[in-house]
Formats: sequence, structure tokens, C-alpha cells
Amino acid sequence: MSAIEWAFTIGKLLLVFVPLAMIPIMIFMERKGASLIQDRVGPNRVSVPLFGGLRLFGFVHNVTDGIKLFTKELIVPKFAHKWYYIVAPMIPFAIAVMTPGLLPWCAPIVFEWGGHVYRISGQILDADAGILVVFALSGLSVYGTVLGAWSSNSKYALLGGVRASAMMVSYEVSMGLSLLGMFLLVGSFSLSDIVAWQSSHAWGVLVQPIPFVIYVISLIAETGRAPFDVAEGEPEILGHHLEYSGMRFGLFYMGEYAHIVINSMLIATMFLGGFDVPFLHTEGVKEHLGLVIAAILGVFGATALGLMLLLRRWARLYAKTNSTDKVAHAREYAVLGALFGGAGVGLLVAAVASAFLIKTSTTLVGGEAIYPLWTSLLTAFVQFGVLLAKALVFCWVWVWVRWSLPRFRYDQVMSLGWKILLNVALVNLLITAIVAKLLQGGR
Amino acid sequence: MTKVIERREMNTVEQAYLYEAAKGLVGTAKHLLRGFFQHETIPTVSYPEQIIPIPQDYRAHHRLMKRPDGDPRCVACFMCSTACPARCISIEAEESKDGHIEKKPKKFEIDLLVCVFCGLCEEACPVDAIRMDTKKVSVVADSREKFVRDMDSLMDWDPSDYPADDDQSQKAPGGRLNAQARTEWAGGTGH
Repeated sequence: MSAIEWAFTIGKLLLVFVPLAMIPIMIFMERKGASLIQDRVGPNRVSVPLFGGLRLFGFVHNVTDGIKLFTKELIVPKFAHKWYYIVAPMIPFAIAVMTPGLLPWCAPIVFEWGGHVYRISGQILDADAGILVVFALSGLSVYGTVLGAWSSNSKYALLGGVRASAMMVSYEVSMGLSLLGMFLLVGSFSLSDIVAWQSSHAWGVLVQPIPFVIYVISLIAETGRAPFDVAEGEPEILGHHLEYSGMRFGLFYMGEYAHIVINSMLIATMFLGGFDVPFLHTEGVKEHLGLVIAAILGVFGATALGLMLLLRRWARLYAKTNSTDKVAHAREYAVLGALFGGAGVGLLVAAVASAFLIKTSTTLVGGEAIYPLWTSLLTAFVQFGVLLAKALVFCWVWVWVRWSLPRFRYDQVMSLGWKILLNVALVNLLITAIVAKLLQGGR
Repeated sequence: MTKVIERREMNTVEQAYLYEAAKGLVGTAKHLLRGFFQHETIPTVSYPEQIIPIPQDYRAHHRLMKRPDGDPRCVACFMCSTACPARCISIEAEESKDGHIEKKPKKFEIDLLVCVFCGLCEEACPVDAIRMDTKKVSVVADSREKFVRDMDSLMDWDPSDYPADDDQSQKAPGGRLNAQARTEWAGGTGH
């Protein structure tokens, strides 16, 4: 391998940290989403000591949570199996780092460098078994749950772990079966093939709408969150991490959120075209790169300006109340408004500039039209951002569903999994097989 | 008479769950959007900075009323400590120097940790000497002893914090008007 390939290979390894980097966003979204859905204000007390205190809408509470979890005592219960007890929280977390290695983050980066044409895959590992490896890894995460429950020598934790494992095993079945239709149509288990098929035909959600619903439900059940939180049920049912404290509990917690992020990316990859930009696809993005970047920057800039207006409105209303901290808040809102306004104007200017200044052109290398390195890299970033945006939508669905729907009873969970989802997935598989045979011939 | 409420059977759409779940999701989304775009409609009050006004007849921290010469209005009749269901009032009486009045308290203590803020002492008092209209609801101390309020602290209040046109506070036992007393206090005599 040449130096440029080594640079790409090492640089791509950073992608495994993407789900971890999204955990703070996820926690912020969960807290603010929950509080707004319940007509509350949510966390808003901790502030960054800049410009006389910036509270950043409660985002700083993540930091204080981290400090709290890291400085708490790590308790190992008496008679716990110490080794398994310590290893168990690491398992879901390790899986959260391993799974991103298999996801396609962008289209293959094709560029010309020193007279050679390079094709760098958008995945860290483009396995032929792709999605099967992902299933295997996500199936392993139940080991963390069960080991942690069993090794902590607590009957309540053990019961929680048993419930969790029973539910995960049940829903893995309908999860796998719901995807079989897609595999039939695509004819491959490789995630990059699945994305390529969707970008050349149609998105999975249009071709296979019912399995999409089944897949989303199964994934929500698999992460063990409401309305399927029979395993852990934060308010009253004691869960598998009952005996854990400090950052070991934090690892379970962060593993759950990383799991949500990864599952959202999987939904986006399997059913929403992955990194595919609708209607443009890879070549279209490369051709109209300036306009695409202008559109993205423009959306961000307009959002920032809208947020600034919202902040100004809120500051005006807050100044009319009888609060004792009106002066401090007015200053904070002024600083934040200036930040958002500046960012919005800057982004809009950058959008206009990129629309006019970024021009892409191809060079012919060996009879093939090749874009230069910077075009391919920017395209890859755009596709990466599109994947993240699709995933964030589904991260929000997780939060939204959790704070809207009441919990299912355990027998309801089981009958939904085995009697309904499994059968619907099987019937769908049959219909898909017949239609695929009629349409695509004997392929 | 018991009223029997018949549970309606769920129809097919409701049993299918997905449509009803979607309705629930829309409902929560409405709350979310309202909270996001009209943040002021959220009923939460950020407490230490914004305080909801407490009504005048709210039963809060006690105070002892005063005579114009600064003595407690209390005549040490023990009605309040007798009426107190929590037995948090302890009184010691002594002879009053005023010829018209027999007794006055030497010690008047209320243990706020024992008090249940029922207001029976207020109602029992024949001379309107004890009141619970200070609107002080946040009582903080770092030891149990500090929650026992003695007579001095119970009488340490500012007349300007209370409504001047309150009928019940105009007549003071002993025949002198409270309004007159207030002008005397403002002039610097007594107290």
C-alpha cells in the first residue's frame, strides 16, 4: 500500500468513535425532549464560566454527569464474581466501538494521486457477510447484560438480566427475518451492496415498508427501552445493572445510548439509502458539489438565524417577568444571540461563496473521468453528514417513542414478538420472494 | 351507590395499536413544539429567581404581636400551647409591670421542627398575640437547636411588611390604637 492509502486507512479508524461522540448529543436530546414533551423546562442550571455564565440550554450537564460518574466509588458487592462483574459493562461498550467498523460511511473515494487511480472503500471493513457480522455483534451485547446481572450476586439483577435476554433473543428473530426481504432483492449481505442497490433502485422504506416498521420496532425492543423496557424499567423495575455504581454503571448507560445511535445508523443504511443523497447520488453530488455544500450550509445558517430570533423573543419575554436574575439572563441571551447571529450570517455567506466558487472538473486517467482528491473527500464528508442526519432523525424517534408510549406487559411483549412480528415478517418474506421471482427472473 | 363504568371493547383499529400509537406520538409532538416555540407557556417557575406571591392568610412562620411599649401582647394564658396538637410551644409566665395586665411571658419558644403549621395556636389566642402571617416558608438552619425560636426572634418583625389597613390588627388590648403606636415607633419613642 502506498502512503496515501495508509493515511486513509488510519484516518478511517477514527470513524469507530462516531457513535461515542454522538452519546452527549443523544443524552441532551433525551433530556430536553423528555422535559419539553412533559411541559417541563429540563436541566438549565450548570453554566460554562465564559462571558459571565453560558448555560448552553443544559448541554453542560453532560460534563457534570461525567465528573460525577468518574469520581464515584466503584463498589464490588460481596460474593460477586469479581472478574465477570468488572468485564460485563465493557462488553456493550466494546461492541459500540466495533460495529461502526462495518457500516458504510460514504461511497468509495475515487481519486487520482501521482498518476494512479485509487479507490478507498467507505467502510473500515467491507465484509461480504456485512450485516450478519453486525447481527452477531449486536447479539453479543446481551452477554454484557446477562453477565453483569449474574455476576453481581443479586436475585433482582439476575431476574432483570433474564428478562432482558429473553426479550433480546425473541426480537433478534423478527429483526433478522424482516431484513430477509431486502437481502432477496439486493442479492447480497454486504452493507455497501445494499446501499448501492438502494441508490440505483429505490430506498428500502419504499420497497419494503412493512419490514421497515417491524425492523424499527425490533430494534427499539432490542435496546430495551420504553415501551419495551421490561428488562430495566427505570422508575420501578430493578434491572440488570442494579449493583453497579460509578463509571461501571456509566458504561452500561453509554453502551445503551451508543447502541441506539448504531441502530439508527443501521436503519438509515438498510432502509433509507444510507449515505445516499436523494436524487443526486454520488456522481451528482460530485458534479454539483458547490450547490450541495451551499444547500447544507444554507440550512444550517437559516437554522442558526431562526434560533437567534427565538432567543431574542424569549429574552424579551423573560425581561418582563419579576425574576431576580434578569440582568444575568439578558447578558447571556445577548451573547448567545450574537453567537447564533454571527454563525448564521457567516454560514449563509459561506453558502453563497461555495455556490459560486466551488467548481468541480474531471481529468481523464486511463480513459476514465476522475475527480481530484479534494472533490472526492468533500463528497465523502457530505455523504457522511447525510448519514448522520438520517441517523439523528431515528435517534429522535427513540426518544420520542420512549416518552410517549406506555410500557408493554411482559406477556404482551412476548406475544407481539412471537405471534405478530415474526408471522408478518415471514408472510412478507414469502410475498417478496414471489414478487422478486416474477420481476427479476431466476436471479 | 356504586356506579359501574362499562369498559368499552377495543375496535379493530385500536387493537392494531399502530394507529393509536401514532396518535399518541402526535400528541406528545404538539407539546414538544409548543414548549420549543412558546417556551413561556411552560408552567414551571424557576423558584429562587421567580417566587409566586404567597397569600396573606397563608400559615407560615409565626410572629408575636407587640404592645406599643415593645412588650409582647401575649398574656401567658397558655391557650395556644394547650391547643397545640404538636406541643411545640413552651411558655414560662412572669408578672407584668403594667397594672392592667396580670401576666406576660418570660419565655416563649416554638420548636419549628415539631410544629405542624396547623394554625390552632392562632385561633386559640384570646388577645391576637400570635400570628402566622409572615409568609416566611423557607426556614433553614444547620442544627436542631436553631430551629427553636425564642421570644426575641418571634417579635423581630418589621411593621411595614404588613398591611396597614388590616382591621384585625388595629385594636390592641390595652385600649391604644395600633396606628397610633406606629406613629410612636416611627418617631423613635419606645421599641
